[in-house]
Amino acid sequence: MEFLNPTALYGLLALPLLLIPYLTRQKPRRVVFSSLLLFNVPDKRAGGRPLSRLRLPPIFFLQLLLLALVIVALAEPVFSVRTSRIAVVLDNSASMQTLFGQQTRFALAQEKVRGLLSDLGPAATADLYLTVPRLEKVRGTSLGPVEATRIVGSLTSYDLPDAPIDYQVVLSQMAKEQKYDRVYLITDHPAVGQTDVLRVLTVGQPRDNFAVSSFAISHSSLVGSRLEATAEVANFSGKDERIKVVLRGGGAVLSSRDLAVEAGKTAAATFAGFPNHPYYELEIDIRDGLPIDNRRFAVPPAAQNLRILGISPRPQALNSLRSIPGVSLDIVAPQEYDKADRSGYSLEIFHYSTPAVPPANPALFVLPPDNNPLAELAKPVSRPIVSSWREPHPLTRYVNFALFRPAFSRPLKPRVSAEAIIESPAGLLALAMERRAVRYLVLGFEIFPYLGRENLPVSVFTLNLLDWFFHGSGAEPLVTGAPIIFSAAQQGSFLLTPRGDKIALEHGANSFPATHFQGLYQIQRGSHRELFAVNFENKNESDLRQPTPIPIREATAADNVSALFSIWPYLLLISLILLFVEWFVNPRPIRSAFGLRSPPAT
Amino acid sequence: MLPEPFTSQYLSQLETLRLRTRKEFLGSQTGSYSSPRRGTSLEFADYRRYSPGDDLRYLDWGIYARTDRLYIKLFREEVDLFAYIFVDASASMAFPSPREKFLPASHIAASLAYVVLANHDHVKLHLLGNSVNHAASPFYRGRRRITDCIHFMTSADPEGPLELAPVLAEHLRTLRRPGKAILISDFLMPPTSYQQGLNLLRGFNLDIAVIQVLTRQEVDPPFSNGGLRLVDSETNAEIGFQWDAAAQQDYKARLAQHNSEIRSFCHQSGIHYSLYLTDRELDDFVFATLPAIGLFK
Repeated sequence: MEFLNPTALYGLLALPLLLIPYLTRQKPRRVVFSSLLLFNVPDKRAGGRPLSRLRLPPIFFLQLLLLALVIVALAEPVFSVRTSRIAVVLDNSASMQTLFGQQTRFALAQEKVRGLLSDLGPAATADLYLTVPRLEKVRGTSLGPVEATRIVGSLTSYDLPDAPIDYQVVLSQMAKEQKYDRVYLITDHPAVGQTDVLRVLTVGQPRDNFAVSSFAISHSSLVGSRLEATAEVANFSGKDERIKVVLRGGGAVLSSRDLAVEAGKTAAATFAGFPNHPYYELEIDIRDGLPIDNRRFAVPPAAQNLRILGISPRPQALNSLRSIPGVSLDIVAPQEYDKADRSGYSLEIFHYSTPAVPPANPALFVLPPDNNPLAELAKPVSRPIVSSWREPHPLTRYVNFALFRPAFSRPLKPRVSAEAIIESPAGLLALAMERRAVRYLVLGFEIFPYLGRENLPVSVFTLNLLDWFFHGSGAEPLVTGAPIIFSAAQQGSFLLTPRGDKIALEHGANSFPATHFQGLYQIQRGSHRELFAVNFENKNESDLRQPTPIPIREATAADNVSALFSIWPYLLLISLILLFVEWFVNPRPIRSAFGLRSPPAT
Repeated sequence: MLPEPFTSQYLSQLETLRLRTRKEFLGSQTGSYSSPRRGTSLEFADYRRYSPGDDLRYLDWGIYARTDRLYIKLFREEVDLFAYIFVDASASMAFPSPREKFLPASHIAASLAYVVLANHDHVKLHLLGNSVNHAASPFYRGRRRITDCIHFMTSADPEGPLELAPVLAEHLRTLRRPGKAILISDFLMPPTSYQQGLNLLRGFNLDIAVIQVLTRQEVDPPFSNGGLRLVDSETNAEIGFQWDAAAQQDYKARLAQHNSEIRSFCHQSGIHYSLYLTDRELDDFVFATLPAIGLFK
């Protein structure tokens, strides 16, 4: 026998409370009588202590039975009719790495799975599923209990957030299609409700946690090799905490800070003046629930100078960019773009031109032709007025839009999903978009030539966009689960994962999607090595205080064939009958003991 | 104006009654009760030989004609009755309230007193209690003194414990004439106590009647089941008691045994005994039960 709502069984602990009315009822009442002559017999039953004078009538045991039956009925007891085919869905998201004592939640979940499998008969079959990176069966075929137990031990949790799965729908459909007698979901999320078939087993308890919520290495300016690191630490607990933040590089501690982080808030730390290393690691020194988010990795920007490839039929206007320190510019004609070697450029500026396909590098499109794939261009407008702009945004920072008056513009209408940056009454003037982690900016007005102080509003905007592209040029850490985009691999290239797996890259491959673990991914192209810092980042996973409950509603009878025989309705029926019996048998209902006692005899 | 239940109809009914005595007493005046002395009543008692000086009116001339001897006819003397009504005025008579127990007992006492007064006999009321304010009334005679009797009884306040024999002895010290003694009490006391008291009355050559007064609450205690701290109304002593159906049955058996012992003792001692439950109609008890036990002629 099992219970669909085992929490109700805690109500059995309240059964002794039934004694209270009997104890209070048993409390001797002081009654004056004419003479004690006929009572004057030693009666050991009439003691002073409550327990010694407690004499329980048979009706008490009837009431006790009634109450116990009601509580057990509320726990929804069911008899298993048959459990020959089950599915075990094991949550292997990052939060399952939370420590519970000396064990992780994932280890506890594995123990639960082993327990479930051990209860199966030898002829039963079990299918194992993992939830991340996507809900997927571990083996293609169904497993026997012994083999499934062996495989469960080899499963690991990933540094990935929870997959956005509607478990009610997905698991119900799985049970229906695969004809599972029962589907178990073992997770660290609590469940709201249970069904006969869908069972959620929750492991672990809410915990306080602290996390490095961001960590980035950047150049302090466009010019120079000086690096700076910014980090942010989040406090997912109910108390303020002082946290030591340690920056490491090249295997040594470079710097450390003590950060005071208020409860539920974040605090930032900045590091500067540290030497160059291939990668950096930031760690907070604290014992908390989830160790994985206590450290992050970052790789410094690959290039110290912003290398720009200009594609323009009017190269004279672009040449003015060379006057900006730290900027190196190569210009090609639009018809020569396909032949040009585009590797190593941080930015491509398409001036009055557009490529056939969106470029792999970040790109700025200035007044692209009408046939461009990103935006439609309206009729030209002379000296447009800027009516609104996105704020705060790195592109509009410090720009005086009251003085921002391009000579003419062509309002834009995006063909793809884009973010409006600058608007005029006639339409959009600047659109920002990001496709496969590559930034694009489309301008409907001319910003060249770069005139420096002679046209400060446009110059500031130009510097902003160069800075925006500079910081968006791939130097920022990637998050787990997101693909690593890199330039096309050559023959013999391979990728090293943080766990030491060496994965050969096919020729021409430019992405690696299986970033399941946090750490440094290394692409080796002959002697050239490229590092990518992939970090786990998910506020919902790091906040271990109140896990989101998984709603499990009662499925309709048509949705599944129940493998369970519910007996609680019968228990309730018996309780009802007992209640009627108690009603007629008990001369003094129990309610009289709670202050509704009949008037005293004297 | 007399209080309930002493209506004119009730008093008229009482006037038809007359106390019955099983002993002969020496009265003070001519009355309707037999005296051991020879007197001038119409009831023949004996003969004795004529002595000079005897009243010739009482010579039995028939015997003289047959036997030629002179005999004088002797007649019984009929005297008045002295009745003593003892009413228990201890605290137990105020259970559950004086109105429910002591007042009915007072009504019985007043009714009996009126029966005596209506026959131009003497009645004296005694309140039995250890308290000093309990006392005895003077002798009343004449039916108009019923108001005094009722006032005496209703002004009493039952309280305190009662040791029957010593208190009776105290009252009997002032008793000069024998007569009829009626003791009204709940008799919720040890057998030795009431036996000593009744023997004391017997020792004073009194014709004794006993009326035991109990309330329905004493016969069938309406306690709810459970533990009780029972307090004695007279001594304030406390005992713990577990009340349930078995205890109730046990109590009833003990009460029946107790009453049976009283009845048995009275029977053996030539004492009229009757039990009055206060929820019973008073006139029914007075006009049906008391004549049945021989208290009235």
